[in-house]
Amino acid sequence: MRWGYDDGMDLAARLIELLGATRVHTHPIDRLIYAKDSGVSSGDPAIVVLPETTEEVAAIVRMAAGADMPIVARGAGTGLAGGAVPASGSVLVVLTRMNAIYDVDEIGRTAWVGPGVINLDLSDALVDQDLHFAPDPSSQQSSTIGGNVGTNAGGPHCLAEGSTIAHVLGVEIVTVDGDIMVLGGAAPDPPGYDLRGLIVGSEGTLGIVTRVLVRLTENPPDVVTMLISFDGIGDAARTVSDIIGSGLVPAALEMMDGPMIEAVENFVHAGLPVGAGAVLLAEVVGHPAGIAAEADLIREIAVANAATDIRTATDEDERALLWKGRKSAFGAVAQAAPDYYLNDTVVPRTRFVEVLDEICAIADRYDLRLLNVFHAGDGNFHPLISFDASEQGMSEKVVAASHEMVHAAIAAGGTLSGEHGIGIEKRDLMSRVFSVDDLDAQARVREAFDPEGLLNPGKILPEGSRCFDRPAT
Amino acid sequence: MTTLRSVTRELFERMRDETVEIDAEFVVAPSSLEEAAAVLAAASAAAIPVSFYGAGTRRDDGGTAPADVVVTSNRLNRIVDWKPDDLTVTVEAGVAIETLESEIVARRQTAVLPETAVGATIGGVIAAGISGYRRLRYGPTRDRVLQVRVATGYGKVVSGGSPVVKSSTGYGLPRLFTGSLGSLGMIGTVTLKLWSQPLTAATVEIGDAAAALQGIYRPLAVLETSEGSFVYLGGAESQIASQVRRVGGDPHPGLIWPEPITGPLRIEFRVSAPFVPAAIERAKHLGASRWIAEHGIGRVEAGLDDVDAEDFAAARTWAESTGGVLVVTADAGTGIDRWGTPPASIEIQRRIKAVFDPAGICNPGIMPGGM
Repeated sequence: MRWGYDDGMDLAARLIELLGATRVHTHPIDRLIYAKDSGVSSGDPAIVVLPETTEEVAAIVRMAAGADMPIVARGAGTGLAGGAVPASGSVLVVLTRMNAIYDVDEIGRTAWVGPGVINLDLSDALVDQDLHFAPDPSSQQSSTIGGNVGTNAGGPHCLAEGSTIAHVLGVEIVTVDGDIMVLGGAAPDPPGYDLRGLIVGSEGTLGIVTRVLVRLTENPPDVVTMLISFDGIGDAARTVSDIIGSGLVPAALEMMDGPMIEAVENFVHAGLPVGAGAVLLAEVVGHPAGIAAEADLIREIAVANAATDIRTATDEDERALLWKGRKSAFGAVAQAAPDYYLNDTVVPRTRFVEVLDEICAIADRYDLRLLNVFHAGDGNFHPLISFDASEQGMSEKVVAASHEMVHAAIAAGGTLSGEHGIGIEKRDLMSRVFSVDDLDAQARVREAFDPEGLLNPGKILPEGSRCFDRPAT
Repeated sequence: MTTLRSVTRELFERMRDETVEIDAEFVVAPSSLEEAAAVLAAASAAAIPVSFYGAGTRRDDGGTAPADVVVTSNRLNRIVDWKPDDLTVTVEAGVAIETLESEIVARRQTAVLPETAVGATIGGVIAAGISGYRRLRYGPTRDRVLQVRVATGYGKVVSGGSPVVKSSTGYGLPRLFTGSLGSLGMIGTVTLKLWSQPLTAATVEIGDAAAALQGIYRPLAVLETSEGSFVYLGGAESQIASQVRRVGGDPHPGLIWPEPITGPLRIEFRVSAPFVPAAIERAKHLGASRWIAEHGIGRVEAGLDDVDAEDFAAARTWAESTGGVLVVTADAGTGIDRWGTPPASIEIQRRIKAVFDPAGICNPGIMPGGM
């Protein structure tokens, strides 16, 4: 056994000495609060700590590693793949108090921020500078920048801007040894290996991110936002394929199917076309002269694919309302049924229509209620199964159907996750997209940072990824 | 060498590459990444240094590592799978960037590879981690490498990343290999994200590059060079006309890039964007005959005939004090340390090197800190 009750208690006392009793929790109720993220798995941390400085994080890591206890970092817990679920008996480091924004450089368009800064708060704080942080996951009102870094989060506007990785220039990390170091920086192409590029999306398994140097994006001079309705989901999907095939990459190209439209409209009353088979939310940004032509091209393609209605937002309020409809989708579903299971896979955009058909057929075959909302422009599906877990055998059925959906995406040349990460949920599916040698290389990379495997154990890589047949040298 | 000689004679004779003039015991051109992995496995077992060769355009980066075996990408030269409707392409390392760009321009697409790296291969550009000037608009090369297939130093074929435009699936090996200068193994195949070319483009000579960058929305590039300052614009004609009115100057149709920096000694300041004007002054002070500065990016490349060691050291100290670096990309035999102070993460970097190249045979010493 790696840690014992006595060790745990001793460590807690020392952590209280470091942080004070209000920032160290060991009571079962407190531990229960932090047992889950927004996915389906749960764990039981031994101790929950809330540091406020990098030095505190370093001290915590040294103490926990010294006691051979697993260390799990967590932000707001909005992740859906179990990446922030604490390993049993772990020290859970909650980073939400490290939420300062400092060193905003308006000329260089960068800022250093704490990992606990809430995504939307960052963009809100930059309104006067006419800048924003481009990644905008639907959770952006509550998810943190540190969490976004952990999962390489996406969001609707990553279609044109790229995921979190393209907007993180540097990170300050605490290593498993308790060392503090900066990887990357505001200067381009730092010599050496791009360790920053490894940290982003590593779900807290390589180090704990204590500060983030973000790249800021200038607000566009003009925006056109359109809500396009279709009778059939196939028409909407073909419109997406044709837009990307034309070479136009809109700022965002989102899709909702009929059941999702109905659920969302009942929830937010955004004036969505209840009864339509599908809607596309398309947005183009940029110079007014350029985007007028782009918006016309999108309308033309939509009409050629039997669009039944095209609504263009006439002002910022209407635009905000349309986006509220899209970003409230998961909340809306949560209200409509006791449980939901949300998947996250990506396929080449040329295979979008056929994989969507297959996903719908799988749900039919399992007799499950399927609602679709997705980042269509990226080929990033979010099929969402709404169900009641108290029904006998239902959870197993949902997981089985979800796995079939993932397999359909992989068979079409796709991948496991576009933006939620692997966490626990998809860990055991990794061998579907990576060979034994691929997984071994990833396990070696992890070992280079964390030889003992103390940082967020049991995430991303399936057990036994590491091969021990290193060739003799 | 005796072991390798006999092993190579038997196993790798048919890979022998007679077309490349390199001073090495063996020059081999594998026809597949599996063959490259076999060479690396044998070299690892015999502890024989290996280097990699694309088109030889960036042989100076990081210094030329001594190698008995050179693996070329001459026979890895296929465009494997271009998906124009997905805006992605999968391509082998030995394809020349002009070959790829001239093929995909048929659908008005671009891989946004370096505009003036004439003759360079895809594998070379990615291994060197270099980006084109249009990174201001489209981001650096490393953000477009979606998937890599590599032969590791320990002789296995490994894939990392995903062949789709968005992924959060496993560790970011594509970014790790981008800029690794062949020190971890050989890049064999990559999947790249593509962009559409703008409908029209123009080059505008301007007076004040820094002001232009702040005054217009998302130009393709803003360069200040020893020959003048230029803004590069793309988009619909009316959009370009309106942007030109904002910055002033006469637009020339198309993108007219500066001649690449040559010269026996080439250096690069890489500083955060606000330090570009100061870096230009430093380059001039060092005696740069030509220079190209990327506003909004922070790279200032300069060509020199020679340099005073003390002046260079002072310039490097300044660059590092701003959080940047001053690196030498061609050293003209001056023997100046190419990288400067190793990064804070050097110990982890060494462990990463050891992961992929446990025998230390891949371009030994080419990375910072003598890795």
